[in-house]
Amino acid sequence: MAGKAGKPNRPRKADKDEEEQPLLQAVLVADSFNRRFFPITKDQPRALLPLANVSMIDYTLEFLTSTGVQETFVFCCWMASKIKEHLRKSKWCRPTSPNVVHVITSDLYRSLGDVLRDVDAKALVRSDFLLVYGDVVSNIDISQALQEHKQRRNMDKNVSVMTMIFKESPPGHKTRCEDDDIIIAMDGKSKRILHYQRAQALKRLHFPMNIFHSGSDEFEIRFDLLDCHISICSPQVAELFTDNFDYQTKNDFVRGLLVNEEILGNQIHMHVTKDGYGARVSNLLMYDTVSSDTIRRWVYPITPEANFADQEGQSCTHSRHNVYRETGVSLGHGSQMEENVLIGRNTMIGANCTISNTVIGANCVIGDNVTLDRAYIWNRVHIADDVKVKQSVICDNVEVKHGVVLNEQCVLAYNVVVGPDITLPEGTVLSMHHPDEEDDEDDDEFLSDDNDVGYRKDKTKQKGSLFNPAEVGSEGKGYRWKTSSLEDTEEDDRAQFTLSNITWISQVYSNCSFPSVFQNEVHGTLQRGLDENISCDNLVLEINSLKYAYNISLKEVMQILIRVVLEFPFHQQGAQISTAQYSSHLLPVSMTLLKKWAPVFKNYVKRPQDQLDCLASMEEVFLERETHWAALVKVLMSMYQLEILEEEGIMHWFNQGSTTDKSQQLRRNQGLLKFIQWLQEAEESSEGDE
Amino acid sequence: MDGWWGCYNTVLIAVKQQKKSRIDDPEEVSVWFRKCSSCQEKFVQNQRFTETLVKMPGADKETDLSERIESFLSELKRCGSGAGSLRGSAETARETTALLRRITAQARWGNAGDLMEIIRKEGRRMTAAQPSETTVGNMVRRVLKIIREEYARSRGSTEEADQQESLHKLLTSGGSSEDNFRQHFAHLKANVIEAINELLTELEGTTDNISMQALEHIHSNEVIMTIGRSRTVEAFLKDAARKRKFHVMVAECAPFCQGHEMATSLSKEDIETTVIPDAAIFAVMSRVNKVIIGTQTVLANGGLRAVNGTHTLALAAKHHSTPLIVCAPMFKLSPQFPNEEDTFHKFVSPHEVLPFTEGEILSKVNAHGPVFDYVPPELITLFISNIGGNAPSYIYRLMSELYHPEDHEL
Repeated sequence: MAGKAGKPNRPRKADKDEEEQPLLQAVLVADSFNRRFFPITKDQPRALLPLANVSMIDYTLEFLTSTGVQETFVFCCWMASKIKEHLRKSKWCRPTSPNVVHVITSDLYRSLGDVLRDVDAKALVRSDFLLVYGDVVSNIDISQALQEHKQRRNMDKNVSVMTMIFKESPPGHKTRCEDDDIIIAMDGKSKRILHYQRAQALKRLHFPMNIFHSGSDEFEIRFDLLDCHISICSPQVAELFTDNFDYQTKNDFVRGLLVNEEILGNQIHMHVTKDGYGARVSNLLMYDTVSSDTIRRWVYPITPEANFADQEGQSCTHSRHNVYRETGVSLGHGSQMEENVLIGRNTMIGANCTISNTVIGANCVIGDNVTLDRAYIWNRVHIADDVKVKQSVICDNVEVKHGVVLNEQCVLAYNVVVGPDITLPEGTVLSMHHPDEEDDEDDDEFLSDDNDVGYRKDKTKQKGSLFNPAEVGSEGKGYRWKTSSLEDTEEDDRAQFTLSNITWISQVYSNCSFPSVFQNEVHGTLQRGLDENISCDNLVLEINSLKYAYNISLKEVMQILIRVVLEFPFHQQGAQISTAQYSSHLLPVSMTLLKKWAPVFKNYVKRPQDQLDCLASMEEVFLERETHWAALVKVLMSMYQLEILEEEGIMHWFNQGSTTDKSQQLRRNQGLLKFIQWLQEAEESSEGDE
Repeated sequence: MDGWWGCYNTVLIAVKQQKKSRIDDPEEVSVWFRKCSSCQEKFVQNQRFTETLVKMPGADKETDLSERIESFLSELKRCGSGAGSLRGSAETARETTALLRRITAQARWGNAGDLMEIIRKEGRRMTAAQPSETTVGNMVRRVLKIIREEYARSRGSTEEADQQESLHKLLTSGGSSEDNFRQHFAHLKANVIEAINELLTELEGTTDNISMQALEHIHSNEVIMTIGRSRTVEAFLKDAARKRKFHVMVAECAPFCQGHEMATSLSKEDIETTVIPDAAIFAVMSRVNKVIIGTQTVLANGGLRAVNGTHTLALAAKHHSTPLIVCAPMFKLSPQFPNEEDTFHKFVSPHEVLPFTEGEILSKVNAHGPVFDYVPPELITLFISNIGGNAPSYIYRLMSELYHPEDHEL
């Protein structure tokens, strides 16, 4: 009995531990905010799609629970009610579940950014939390990464805000999809991410040089990493999303943070794991690979026969060559399950079938002489005799009639009927939803879906219930979608799409209009400096800050500065003044102006190259105004006297081969020749003095 | 009222004095207890334990219990991401028994039949959670047997006869199974818990009991071979090393290479240790005097379900007529036969066989990560359990002593 007395204390002890260690929370985003799974996701949210006969969200929750997460916030948007219903029935909402699941729904979430801003607004997280999507399948033990993250946070006062988890997998690995390839530059010692870029089949990559100046002597640039889409975030992450309302995706966040690292002082770290499995089902190709990885037991102990979702009647047995059978499976005479096959409960398979690398859901009926290879067949599917299916997805309640052949990468969405005797070409996507329907309903699709089902049906009828027999067979039902979702790489995150638009615009903007804006600004600054008698130091400071604001190079700054100063009189007096007027105006003005702003020029004209640039831009200005060539000499003279320009520089410029007729003419100008002569003499005499 | 236990005599006296058949009011019971000073202390002690259980509101008690069961189940499901289990099976056995004791104490049941039903139900779930961990099922069967015995004793029937079932009785006992255990006995709970406690004490001492026999089997300057890492064998060898000098060859047991850990642990105790690759087992066998291995399960036919590579080792030992000794505590004895294929094997992630980082090749090949080997009984010389040495042919007898034939199928 003595042993017993000790027992009841156990939960209390655990309570104490909790006080010391705040409970681990997770944010699970049960929405992908993209349409890669269209048209399947028109009827069922992605998180609920079955992967090896278990909803994807269950894999994610199982992963979270096994890593010790005690509280999970599930954020849903698209078809939230379905997800809620699913979770309510699942083992996660039983009172005994070690992981308390809260479901938070809103129609307003349009991106990950919105979700995290809501996390911040509702103040849901108290300490470090895990951020995952509802379609992550993983068995990675993140405790080490978590510990490293905490250590880093303790060491230097909350500088590190996020630890991303990567899985080592070399290029060409089947679990990588080209869409999500990333290139990362990292500090080899501290595991800090210095640069993060999505490769997206780019041939040329740029790494900003400044990332290599960060003081470490060990850098790694890696292309062999698979982003598991699992990240350990500190509460600041949510705050940062609130502060930067333009962050939509994690990609924005990471890149934004890295670019502004010097200013905000936040760092991102990474954790690379070699064992364990982690991948996100981000498109149908990934669905194929992750399913087959699950069947091949890479995600052990999350395997089909473990029945981790704890659903009634889901128990299945595992036998040789990774063949899994749930209860009530019947297999006809001469049928073979070759390898990597999972068959759901009460499914009937006819005679002489060959099945390999296939997942079949519950209550399916499959006829005789059927060949299935890499087929993903969901629940209640009817497949008639003599059907061949290769690497395709067949959703719930589909009927495939006699003699149909599905080639690679076909998708038959919910309730479609195909056949008989038709061969669907590679990449065919069939759905009961008309492809055009989508545009009309684009706006209200995020609203509750249930109330416009009837409306939609009516519309489908109106549009012409005539299915094209060439597409779906004489008895078929369904519309053909043009793009194949399996290869659909262009239709990317909507948020990202708009974002790329913005960046594109900004590039254009910077190409054409920024320097002129800058010129106006510099002019304004100098004018103000003249009017208000501001000291040169401050002017330099202002011009410098303008330089950063408009992202202008030093060379351009100088050119613009010269231009502004030389054109100053024109601005003051109007463009039509004569040479005499110009020089008379400029001379006193420029003497004062140049004298006054000499320190400004000196600040920018330092090296011989700068002098040449300066002279070149001066030439450019005067070339535009032939009538004022006489004034050039005077300007040069005063610049020379003010020691902004040196004689070597001027000589070099003068002797430099001129490219156009006009500039040669300029050089043949009387005044200029005299000035040069004078310079040469002065030089000789100075040499003679020595 | 069956939530109290202690000096039963006191109550008997009370019953006699009051001329009642039994006392149902707990208040009344405690009054009588207080009159017996010798019982006083024990009663208070027990009450402290029962207080948490009995005074806990009914719903609370239930959730507390089911929470524990759930957490144990999920732990079972997760255990063994690598080879075998993360914890030793001894610990699993102890935890299972402790949990079963808690179920006995906290669950609602009126008679032995109810209790057995509850335990069977939970036992089924526990074994389903990790079918390869047979220890769990074994402990459930042990507890069921305890309940049967206690019930029989309460009824006053001869428990001795029950224990020494003859082969004939085994054959005939099929249908005539008692009276469905429906009779109510007030003190049954106390007795069952007491018996389970005894079982727990037995479990605590198994490893010591086995290693105590080490000196009888290991002699000076012998060469011993073992494979992988077994906690029992480790203790066994270490115990022998206190008195004798001998040499241990450890087969590394790829791909999980628990043999490396074993070798490190043994060499720390100043045992001369050599690690050999699995492929060299046959070559080295001619020099070996004895093979001593552990096992995951002892099957009903006397065969083994042991770590991968054991079959090779056993065959090599047979070829060289080297004795093969299996150190297996009694709780590893399972009424399972090797032909029950579904749950027999366990495949883990193929990561160790072919690393995930290998890249393209993964899509072209199938990699498997099996964990266990079946070793037929004819290759085994001797079992050493906590109750002594036995030949494989005697396993069936031990089985009938440990488990009731009706409990073989949970």
